[in-house]
Amino acid sequence: MRLRGVQRYHWARDLDEALSLLSAYQGKGAILAGGVDLARSPRTDIEGLIDITGIGLSYVSKENEGLRVGATATLTGVLEHPAALDYAGGVLQEALQGVACPAIRNMATLGGAVVSAHPWADIPTLLVALGTQARWQGAREEKTTVEELYGREFRKIFRESVLLELFFPSRDGAFAFEKITRNAGDIALLNVCAGLGLKEGKIAWARVAVGARPMRGECLPWLEEALAGERPTEALWRKVEEEVKARVEVGSDRRAEAWWRKEVAGVLVRRTLLRACKRAEERKAW
Amino acid sequence: MKIYFELNGKPQYVGVGPGESLLSLLRRVGMKSVKEGCGTGECGACTVLVEGRPVRSCIFFAPKVQGKRVTTLEGLGTLDNPHPLQLAFVEAGPVQCGFCTPGMILTSYALLERNPNPTADEVREYLVGNLCRCTGYKKIIDAVLLAAEWKREGRW
Repeated sequence: MRLRGVQRYHWARDLDEALSLLSAYQGKGAILAGGVDLARSPRTDIEGLIDITGIGLSYVSKENEGLRVGATATLTGVLEHPAALDYAGGVLQEALQGVACPAIRNMATLGGAVVSAHPWADIPTLLVALGTQARWQGAREEKTTVEELYGREFRKIFRESVLLELFFPSRDGAFAFEKITRNAGDIALLNVCAGLGLKEGKIAWARVAVGARPMRGECLPWLEEALAGERPTEALWRKVEEEVKARVEVGSDRRAEAWWRKEVAGVLVRRTLLRACKRAEERKAW
Repeated sequence: MKIYFELNGKPQYVGVGPGESLLSLLRRVGMKSVKEGCGTGECGACTVLVEGRPVRSCIFFAPKVQGKRVTTLEGLGTLDNPHPLQLAFVEAGPVQCGFCTPGMILTSYALLERNPNPTADEVREYLVGNLCRCTGYKKIIDAVLLAAEWKREGRW
């Protein structure tokens, strides 16, 4: 346990109590659900932990418009829900099954992954590509896409707010997820989530996000626009690979150099789009 | 602060620090099978079961077990009466230094409770987060598959 200096632990009974406690600590309180990242945080300024696992946010539910996942639902909880398995061609299962190991997935929450937003993590890339919406409560209730949230000062937002829910909109196509790691339990050197919908043999829409670049996952809007209206052929995927290699923004860190990430990004995006396309052809609208 | 939980089937009402880890609490109450390896949730040596599911006790805040069931290796079997899963580990011989073994056995137990007929790949996948620096894993997989066979035969 790296976190030091904690003085008090609160089991919040409801959202109001959690927010009230968070406000009372004036920046020295932390919301706790899975606690995987919090326990490993080197921070020494946190005096109070506010456990929100008992306030009713651990649900997964399917609606006509999409899938709703409460912020404190664990990754295992999502993986074991039949609706989540089926969503967008099974991409949630594909991506979450590859996160760490069962013991960590039993603890870690989807909401925690959004709030922590590690640049190397798989979940932000997944959520950005899927157009997932986040809803949270601070002084007032707000919601926006995870992609837009990451463009804001989201860490500041969650020092004063509680993330409530993630909403995955229904998709008429399919997604796929790919990543490269050194071994099965390691973090990604690069990850890609991509999806598309087909209409009359052509790509109706496409979403492509690349993460662990080593920067956090972001969409490639120029590629998404270029793909719309194209026929999914081998020649198109080869062109996509070359374009991504040329244009994707990547960097170097101790895990991999930028030139390597550029090369791999092209290949991974091509493979992921190809798999998403095959799934889209096979499945009916979710 | 005091919390109530069930440890290996017996009620516990104990004092905990608000930032204390479950690992620290469990060792404090005598569960010495729970090992601290990395201390950051990476190695799996500290694995215990909470509500039947494996978790990393080194990064699990102890107050979170309030009202829950916790199982350590001590709750599975004893020296005089070992659990068949422990016997399978003796039989297949995957124990060298033994530091990772409690975590390996508890994780395997959770797997076999959900899937009594796993393939070798499913065992590997489930044990991906439990590191062993001695054995090279083959005999660990063999032990879990042997225990699974015994479970299917009704020995546990």
